[in-house]
Amino acid sequence: MTRRLHVLALLAGLAAPAAGGAQTPVQNATLRRAQQAYDNLEYRQVVSLAQAALRERLTGPERARAYELLGFTYGALDSILKAVDAFKQVVLIDPERQLDPNRVSPKAYSAFDVALRQVLLVRQLRVDSTSFVGGRGAVPIRFTVTQPARVVTRAIGGGGGGSYVIDSGAWNGQVNLSWPARLANGDPVPAGNYTVVVEARLGQNTSSASQPVRVSHGSVDTLQSLTSLPGYQYLPETEVPPQSWRPLGLAFLYTGGALVGTLGLESSSLGSSSKRELAVVGGAALVTGFVMTLRKPAPRPAAANILYNRLLRDQIARRNQDIAKENVARRQQVQVTLVPLPKPSGAGPR
Amino acid sequence: MSRAAVGLALLFASRAALAQRVTAIVGPQFALASYREVASGLRYQGSGFGGALSARYRRLSAEASIVRLTLDPANGSAATSGFTATDVNAWVAYDVATYASVEAGFIRRTADPELDAQSVGAVRIGARSFYELGPGATVLFRANYLAAPKFSGGGHAGFSIDLGLGLDVRLAGRMHGTAGYTFQRINRKTNPGGTGEIDAPMQATVARVGLAVGF
Repeated sequence: MTRRLHVLALLAGLAAPAAGGAQTPVQNATLRRAQQAYDNLEYRQVVSLAQAALRERLTGPERARAYELLGFTYGALDSILKAVDAFKQVVLIDPERQLDPNRVSPKAYSAFDVALRQVLLVRQLRVDSTSFVGGRGAVPIRFTVTQPARVVTRAIGGGGGGSYVIDSGAWNGQVNLSWPARLANGDPVPAGNYTVVVEARLGQNTSSASQPVRVSHGSVDTLQSLTSLPGYQYLPETEVPPQSWRPLGLAFLYTGGALVGTLGLESSSLGSSSKRELAVVGGAALVTGFVMTLRKPAPRPAAANILYNRLLRDQIARRNQDIAKENVARRQQVQVTLVPLPKPSGAGPR
Repeated sequence: MSRAAVGLALLFASRAALAQRVTAIVGPQFALASYREVASGLRYQGSGFGGALSARYRRLSAEASIVRLTLDPANGSAATSGFTATDVNAWVAYDVATYASVEAGFIRRTADPELDAQSVGAVRIGARSFYELGPGATVLFRANYLAAPKFSGGGHAGFSIDLGLGLDVRLAGRMHGTAGYTFQRINRKTNPGGTGEIDAPMQATVARVGLAVGF
């Protein structure tokens, strides 16, 4: 039972390269026979047929496929060194080739991994789409270098056909770079089509990868002036006080003051003066006070609300001043948008 | 000056006032008055007509009134004939607080015939308190010291005071109702013929009620 499971697992692992290498139809008859022999687990035949195919005229993908069949076959035959050599040829032809560790045998995968580390390659170059205000952002660039090497990353092209060094340094493994897309004077690079080229050098060995991108310029969106602050609202600047007897009381107070003053200041030698004049005016004041007591009080300024509204207006004005300054700056800025372009056919890593 | 010129001057003045946020009311008044002089037996009562003007510019305000009173001897009075009095008052005030002002002005009351009663002129110095009873209704109380009084019959007064109660109610639109009460006490002393100083006090109360137009 255990042996049967082992065989099934091996078959599944060996079947994977056939699926992985089926990107392009194989035209060469010898290579097709080698593939068929591999599918039938006839490894000796695979080796001879694949080597025979390699001596024939093959396209690049067919040549990579032939070496891949050899790599997997040598792996199955426990010829690890030969498998590594075969896989080295695969990645030299197709540096982006990647094996799925869940679908290939561990032996083949480890041989492929060893092959990758024995060859200097720049692979998996990715430039993400991005958009930012010139000088306030950067373009993320990622790639993998399979061996420690001196790596120079450039952007070539654009309107002026210039070359801009993005980075130069010693790297190994996964590399993440940020390109601010600026000239030496701080201006954004001119709009146009560029090619991001990554070149790695280790002694006499070199490898490079490229990715065409398009840089376009646009105007930066300006900000709208504020008319209110979120969460803050103007408050009514007047308030109606509660109805009270205060008007009548004040009318009594003022009329009483006049009456008391009159009575107190009357001359004793002249006798008590006429009160009809005070009665007329005092009566009018009391009636007015009574009427005003019954009337709905007039709205009066709400000092706290006025102060609050003033603060709110000041705050909004201050924010709008900042926005106006920001908009002045934004009108002088450039929105840089970078989009990766599809690689032209035939172009690939060297 | 022709009436047209006066009208134009008033028009321009009112426009200029509006432009500078000056508020003013002006209108006629009917007056009731009583007057006593020297002794309790010499008392008069009467009525008359006049007008009043008041204006305000920010914390500064001014007020003036003129009233012509016909005063007749009251019941039981020792006086045998009445007289006509013209009472002119003016104030300029400055608000020192929300409900209080200091004010200065003058009073001049003339009697006709001249010898039937004392004519008096004095400087007013005092203060007033005012309060808005409700929308468009203001009540005020004033106390003025009458300084340096001058009398047509001579003499002097060491203590003279004037108390007032005022009311201004906006009736409708620009129409105002106005009312004012004045109590005046002047401790006049004279020295007729050099025989020695005698008291000749004067006491007057005036009530004025009228309508006014606001600008």
